[in-house]
Amino acid sequence: MSSLGFRTLLVKEIRRFLRVPGQTLATPLLTTTLYFVVFGVSIGHQLREVGGVPYARFIVPGLMLMGVIQNAYLNSASSLFVMKLQGTIVDVLVSPLSYAEILGAFVLAAVVRGLLVGGITFAVAAAFTGFEVAHPLLAVAVVTLAAVAFAAGGVASAIWAETFEQVNFFPTFFILPLTFLGGVFFSVRMLPPGLSTVAHANPVFYLVDVLRFAMLGAGDASPWAGFGLVTLLAAGALTGAYMLLRSGWRLRS
Amino acid sequence: MSEPVVQIRGLTKRYGDLLALDGVDLDIRAGEIFGLLGPNGAGKTTLISVVTGLARATSGEARVLGRDVVRDYRFTRRNVGLVPQEINFDPFFTVEESLRFQAGYFDVKLTEARLVELLTALDLTGKRTASARALSGGMRRRLLIAKALVHEPRVLFLDEPTAGVDVELRRALWSYVRTLRDRGTTVVLTTHYLEEAEALADRIGIIDRGRLLLVEEKAALLARSNGRSLEQIYVEQVGRRQAAPP
Ligand SMILES: Nc1ncnc2c1ncn2[C@@H]1O[C@H](COP(=O)(O)OP(=O)(O)OP(=O)(O)O)[C@@H](O)[C@H]1O
Ligand SMILES: [Mg+2]
Repeated sequence: MSSLGFRTLLVKEIRRFLRVPGQTLATPLLTTTLYFVVFGVSIGHQLREVGGVPYARFIVPGLMLMGVIQNAYLNSASSLFVMKLQGTIVDVLVSPLSYAEILGAFVLAAVVRGLLVGGITFAVAAAFTGFEVAHPLLAVAVVTLAAVAFAAGGVASAIWAETFEQVNFFPTFFILPLTFLGGVFFSVRMLPPGLSTVAHANPVFYLVDVLRFAMLGAGDASPWAGFGLVTLLAAGALTGAYMLLRSGWRLRS
Repeated sequence: MSEPVVQIRGLTKRYGDLLALDGVDLDIRAGEIFGLLGPNGAGKTTLISVVTGLARATSGEARVLGRDVVRDYRFTRRNVGLVPQEINFDPFFTVEESLRFQAGYFDVKLTEARLVELLTALDLTGKRTASARALSGGMRRRLLIAKALVHEPRVLFLDEPTAGVDVELRRALWSYVRTLRDRGTTVVLTTHYLEEAEALADRIGIIDRGRLLLVEEKAALLARSNGRSLEQIYVEQVGRRQAAPP
């Protein structure tokens, strides 16, 4: 995995998003900062506390997770899709790179972008709410695994997609609604019982919750459920993307 | 004679109901320029795609330097270069970056000397730091050729390398292809310009509807054809179908 070929593809993928930092880093940062200011700071004045935590602090883990998974997904999905579209994927397909190396490079580059966005979001938010993190190692592990899962999902959907619209299908119809309904801005305890049951069927709820546990020290569900789920998602998405890549479907005729 | 560099045996490729390659047997000899001719849709690109790993055979096999292109793909791909028919370029990167990345994918570190040599050979020296987006069509095709050569492949597949390239440059490319051959690179070339095949190829193959109709030394072919041109022979072979326009 540490062949020159793998490192080259990784470096190329990282440089690609660094070439357009406005689009790949500044835009997501601006979006999350706006969320933070609008929801956290303004509404936070009314809402003050959720489960003993100031509201502005309460929403930081969810905002971070949202930035991480959206950007991890978008990086691998758009990069691979554009390579398919402009034909440069051929350069990789005729090379001796193995499928594991190709997948590894795309996923890792996307994780780097996701973590950069997550890290900057944290730094901005923490400037207002403080830097202390209850379980830093767990927080890093959760964020990284979530990034891996969505980066691998991005690879799979780029292989599948034949139009840009299809690349945006998953973020628009799954990631966005599931993160909003997954308790980024509220605690499921604030929901009426019926809605709370629905929220518990949403995988993103457990991801937000375990990250909230890791960062703030308390969550609504068992942190192990969230950690188990994000590990499973990462493993499942990697396996799925690997098998798709290896099958040659829509890449090799 | 030494072992063929590329061996194709019973190669069949189906796309649904369409038989793109129909039991092709072909040997490419070490150090030759092989011209593969045939009308649009004949199967030229498909044949090249199977050998370079872009397509998978339905049945039959292809070997490069004696190794199977599927089982031993790492070995065979290190020894094969491809100039694809479709121009591709990454607008994010410069000519130099594109070449360095391409070398890297092949586990090769591109030396400054090699980079300069490639840029010079393909007349891209002045475009070294230009974005691929800023190149003309012909320059992009030359960049494609340079990319295919970064890892010094033993076999080079050129799928219509001179489509859209101006006359002067086409001649220059021909002479570069001959230089490559003289240095020991085996070249497989497809083209719709019959004069290109006539000028360059040591052997000619004509394919139509997935079947090889003829494989022969160019000199012998022309010699036994009583002064007919390659174009006449081609049109005859391909039968009712006209020589496809470029
Ligand atoms: N990915 C694909 N899916 C379905 N059919 C395909 C695919 N690729 C090629 N074909 C079909 O296979 C046949 C051979 O195509 P190929 O590209 O090999 O022809 P060619 O000889 O290179 O033609 P040209 O001179 O136009 O480049 C054609 O009928 C083509 O439509
Ligand atoms: Mg073709």
